[in-house]
Amino acid sequence: MIGNGAVVLSEGAPSLEPLAAATGVFAYLWLLIALPLLGAAVLLVGGRRTNRWGPYLGVLTVSLAAVFAIVLVVSLLGLPADDRAVGQTLFEWVFVGGFTVPAALQLDQLSMVFVLLITIVGALIHVYSLGYMEDDPDRRKFFGFLNLFIAAMLLLVLADNYLLLYVGWEGVGLASYLLIGFWQFKPSAAAAAKKAFIMNRVGDVGLSLAIMLIFITFGTVTFDSVFAAAGEANESTLTWIGLLLLLAACGKSAQFPLQAWLLDAMEGPTPVSALIHAATMVTAGVYLIVRSNPIYDGTAFALTTVVIIGIITMFLGAIIGSAKDDIKKSLAGSTMSQIGYMVMAAGLGPIGYVFAIFHLLTHGVFKANLFLGAGSVIHGMHGEQEMRRYGALRSVMVITWITFMCGYLAIIGIPPFSGFFSKDDIIHAAFEQNIIIGICGVLAAGITGFYMTRMVIMTFFGKPRWPDDAHPHESKPVMTIPLIILGIGSVVTGAALLYWGNIESWLEPVTGIEEKPLAIPTIVLEGITLLIVLIGVSIAIARYRREVPVLAPKGNLLTVAARNSLYDDAINEALVVKPTYVLSDGSIFVDERIIDGTVEGSARLVGGLGARLRRLQSGFARSYALLMVGGAVMVLVILYLARLP
Amino acid sequence: MNPEVMTAPSIDYIALLPYIIVGAAGVIGVIVEAFVGRNGRRPIQLVLAFGSLIGAFGVLVVNRTTLGLQAEGAIAIDGPGILFMGLILLLAILVALLMSERQLDPAGDAFAPRASALPGSDDERELTTRGYFQTEIWPLFLFSVFGMMLFVTASNLLVLFIALEIMSLPLYLMAGMSRRRRLLSQEAALKYFILGAFSSAFLLFGIALLYGYSGSVEFSVIADALAAEPGQTALVVGGVALLSVGLLFKIGAVPFHAWVPDVYQGSPAPVTAFMAAAVKVTAFGALLRVMYVALGGVRWEWEPLLWIIAGLTMLFGSVVAIAQTDMKRMIAYSSIAQAGFILIGVSTATAEGLYASIFYLVAYGFTTIGIFAIIAMVRDAGGEMTRLDQWAGLGKRSPLVAVSFGIFMFALASFPLTSGFIAKFLVFESALAVDNLGLVIVGVIASVMAAFFYIRVVVIMFFREPVEGSPAAAVPSATTTLALAVSAAVTVILGVLPEPVINLIEQAGVFLR
Amino acid sequence: MSVDNYIILACVLFTLGAIGVLVRRNAIVVFMSVELMLNATNLAFVAFARMNGNLDGQVIAFFVMVVAAAEVVVGLAIIVTVYRSRRSASIDEPNLLKY
Repeated sequence: MIGNGAVVLSEGAPSLEPLAAATGVFAYLWLLIALPLLGAAVLLVGGRRTNRWGPYLGVLTVSLAAVFAIVLVVSLLGLPADDRAVGQTLFEWVFVGGFTVPAALQLDQLSMVFVLLITIVGALIHVYSLGYMEDDPDRRKFFGFLNLFIAAMLLLVLADNYLLLYVGWEGVGLASYLLIGFWQFKPSAAAAAKKAFIMNRVGDVGLSLAIMLIFITFGTVTFDSVFAAAGEANESTLTWIGLLLLLAACGKSAQFPLQAWLLDAMEGPTPVSALIHAATMVTAGVYLIVRSNPIYDGTAFALTTVVIIGIITMFLGAIIGSAKDDIKKSLAGSTMSQIGYMVMAAGLGPIGYVFAIFHLLTHGVFKANLFLGAGSVIHGMHGEQEMRRYGALRSVMVITWITFMCGYLAIIGIPPFSGFFSKDDIIHAAFEQNIIIGICGVLAAGITGFYMTRMVIMTFFGKPRWPDDAHPHESKPVMTIPLIILGIGSVVTGAALLYWGNIESWLEPVTGIEEKPLAIPTIVLEGITLLIVLIGVSIAIARYRREVPVLAPKGNLLTVAARNSLYDDAINEALVVKPTYVLSDGSIFVDERIIDGTVEGSARLVGGLGARLRRLQSGFARSYALLMVGGAVMVLVILYLARLP
Repeated sequence: MNPEVMTAPSIDYIALLPYIIVGAAGVIGVIVEAFVGRNGRRPIQLVLAFGSLIGAFGVLVVNRTTLGLQAEGAIAIDGPGILFMGLILLLAILVALLMSERQLDPAGDAFAPRASALPGSDDERELTTRGYFQTEIWPLFLFSVFGMMLFVTASNLLVLFIALEIMSLPLYLMAGMSRRRRLLSQEAALKYFILGAFSSAFLLFGIALLYGYSGSVEFSVIADALAAEPGQTALVVGGVALLSVGLLFKIGAVPFHAWVPDVYQGSPAPVTAFMAAAVKVTAFGALLRVMYVALGGVRWEWEPLLWIIAGLTMLFGSVVAIAQTDMKRMIAYSSIAQAGFILIGVSTATAEGLYASIFYLVAYGFTTIGIFAIIAMVRDAGGEMTRLDQWAGLGKRSPLVAVSFGIFMFALASFPLTSGFIAKFLVFESALAVDNLGLVIVGVIASVMAAFFYIRVVVIMFFREPVEGSPAAAVPSATTTLALAVSAAVTVILGVLPEPVINLIEQAGVFLR
Repeated sequence: MSVDNYIILACVLFTLGAIGVLVRRNAIVVFMSVELMLNATNLAFVAFARMNGNLDGQVIAFFVMVVAAAEVVVGLAIIVTVYRSRRSASIDEPNLLKY
């Protein structure tokens, strides 16, 4: 049982009501994680023997998990609204002194919606990958990694304490790293994998420090006990915890200033971009913030920082998305921007938590739809990703075109497509809180309209600009059927969750809810938002209706900057790498093969330092002896100083 | 004391049986070398080595409840002491499995047929073609293990010094015995010897000063003297400082680390495994006992010292390892960094810190043995291939070996679900329990940097195309395979189900005085 | 004469030994310098034994001599092997292992 021994509270902390024990169907909660994990183990350990049937096993495990998730949600709905959280302790994991961390799972309303998103979208993407990766010799390994990812992601959202969450957090990071670098024969893919890994580690430092601070402050890392005691902690501690958690979220969710890796991550196979870098993993940061809402409730400063980071990323992503000519990179910019939306919503506090999650769900569906659509286009165009070489594809790829349009209408927020409901709720909540945040939200919605329209026109409309020998074709049913399902999802998820699923009251026990009166009527606000979006759309139509040159025109200053991802690499280079070079002309010692030109600036800094320090190791025994004598003197001095009163 | 009557000291031979078994086996081994014909030696030495190590471990397990000071207070057989001895014996058994490997190198085992033969001479070639091999290394090995057992249970500074020498002197010789790359091996032996002797002189002078201060070399008397009398700054500071220098040298803490990379790189892989795993465990066992028991009264003084040394060690080891191109050298720097993490636990001066350090040593010891087992397997005709780029594509050619190596790397990088994660977690937690957040932050930063080069190895193995001439791992005999399997199993099991081991460590309690 | 003087002499000898290790190049001389350090320690032990009025220090001095003798055996074996393969006893010459 979850409360059992897991809670080491300081004196006077409120006693907790333990979660309901996992009985009945919930006793098999662990199966959710075990199934894909088993798949990963069989595929990765089994080696070539499993080549033939391995991919199908991978699809099967995730599909079973998805079916089980649906069973779980139905059973959860059968419970009274207050008892919809169950816990299951697998075993006592870490146990030292009076401190225990059980490996315990917790299924509540928040984790349930994530489980549904991960397993169902995950299963569809697995099916799609059967077609997309058909010709890849390492396809078994690919499915093994995908299964591993699903298992880790489920562990992340089902953990009932921060430490176990950290296990899942590292697990998804590892799987993402392996999958970005899946086509390792491309140097750009290997470099992108490395970049993602390093930037994620920066975020991980934030998470591990946050967990330690939580442990010092509350004496436990279990969600329940931490949140129960959060109200009594002092505000500056909570602020620090909040900021550190935000740093973690920035790394995983590609938020400013750790956003640079996401664009490069598009080097991975497209199903990976859809699953990990659009629908699920990159939203883990939003999950972390919303899950930790009792901590953020105690610290206005951290919450404000969350909003600011969200707004910056929202615009940054939108601007980048408007200028990239690579269809996947443009979508990646859009993902950044949409997650910025969610982070901003989460930063609004109890007004926004629910809508952050709501948007996360609809986004998970329609962005997966868009990415898989893009993948279908790329597949049909034999690997071409430049939108300037597309055009008029709607005639040859009808299903892809129609489903893509569903996702398009969803993301720009046209009623009654799913994005309309969720985005509108966020903008509404933002206006309730602060008019400036609201205006930012509306403006970003306008830019979204612009870049998505641009993408659709360049890809599906206009004149064909592909070379004569391209022969684009529609993809096979194994790819189009998931597309159709996701396309339908893009249409209905929003309304279904809001009206039928009643998402607000569903999530309320976890996140709390709050409403403030608004000066203008809702319908007017919706109208204004829609108007701004349509302005964005019309600008795009006006600009790209005519001929699109195959070679990108020179463009104005902003376009050029945005094409270069707003110079994030250059900024990294100038701030970190260059000074390091100046500092260490000793980097000739850095082996070019190992610290090669592609490694991130921070690694260079450390590598350069290492190259200098290793020269201390001169190979002369006498200089080692001198170092020891110096050390002995140091020890003497330190001890002597310590003895002074 | 009445000069005419001499009372025989009371010695409980049953309690001391583990030491006696290993020490006697070493002595018998020397006699075997002198009197048994060349072909008969190896089987006898193997039986002696495995028999004595397993026997000593068995006796230790049977005796585990007989705790107390033995041999007139010179040796303290207490809970942590038994744990350390048991760990040393287990690691030694695994090392012995690696040392008895004869299948990897076509010419025989990993050691020179005659260490005195000139490298590259006709003499040496002839010895090799005639299939000579030497077995002197086995008694040396047993003596060293004997010294280690004594070192971790010494309750008297004189015994501490002697045990240190019994452990180290055979090691200096073993470092120089590599069959391949003999010049490197000899250089390693020379450097290890000179610096080791230099550091023992420091240690001994520290002992002299503490003796001058307290009038005794017994840990308990020194502890009482330090608690009672705060004066005599010069003797106490000098004594504690020089004693710490000697112990920190064996641990390989910065700035006394300089020997580690050179010696680890030059020695034959099984010997390096022995040094990296068993010697490190032993040195930490002795450091913990000296600091907690003898110098517990002045812990306010050595705590800041250990914070600084721990921070320096973690950062230096991690940073320099990134710039390495040789696998053995990289692991050497990594072991320096790991020593820094363990020092965090030592520096807390609490029971929790003690338990965390012991757990860390268990995790680290087994992982290290596994790493060197694999390093010995990746080789060509000229010996081990330790350049990092030669490991490219190992994942394609020898997937199972590469996966095991990956597990060890993830453990050292302290990824969740490996022993390294729990170990680091416990150590950090023990530091947080005494409110030392600063050191933990340094530790987290260092472990992030360290993760980079551990993961790089995985990348090289799996994501890099094999270069011309990089071979698959050689197929080892059952002994190496067994050692490797045990290390990998312990690494994973301690990550998933660490609780039994943590319980065992906690039940062992604290040091006896 | 006060015991302090012996202690000071021991410290001076120990320091001389340490300096010898740092400045001399011949491995044998370096090694002799280490022995000088050990013998300086012996002097300190004996002087402290006198000061503390017990015999422990003197007994320890004997143990140290035995250990030093064992160290000579091992040390000379290593130095001679290196000398044979390199035709030089310079401690700076074996310098393949670095960085």
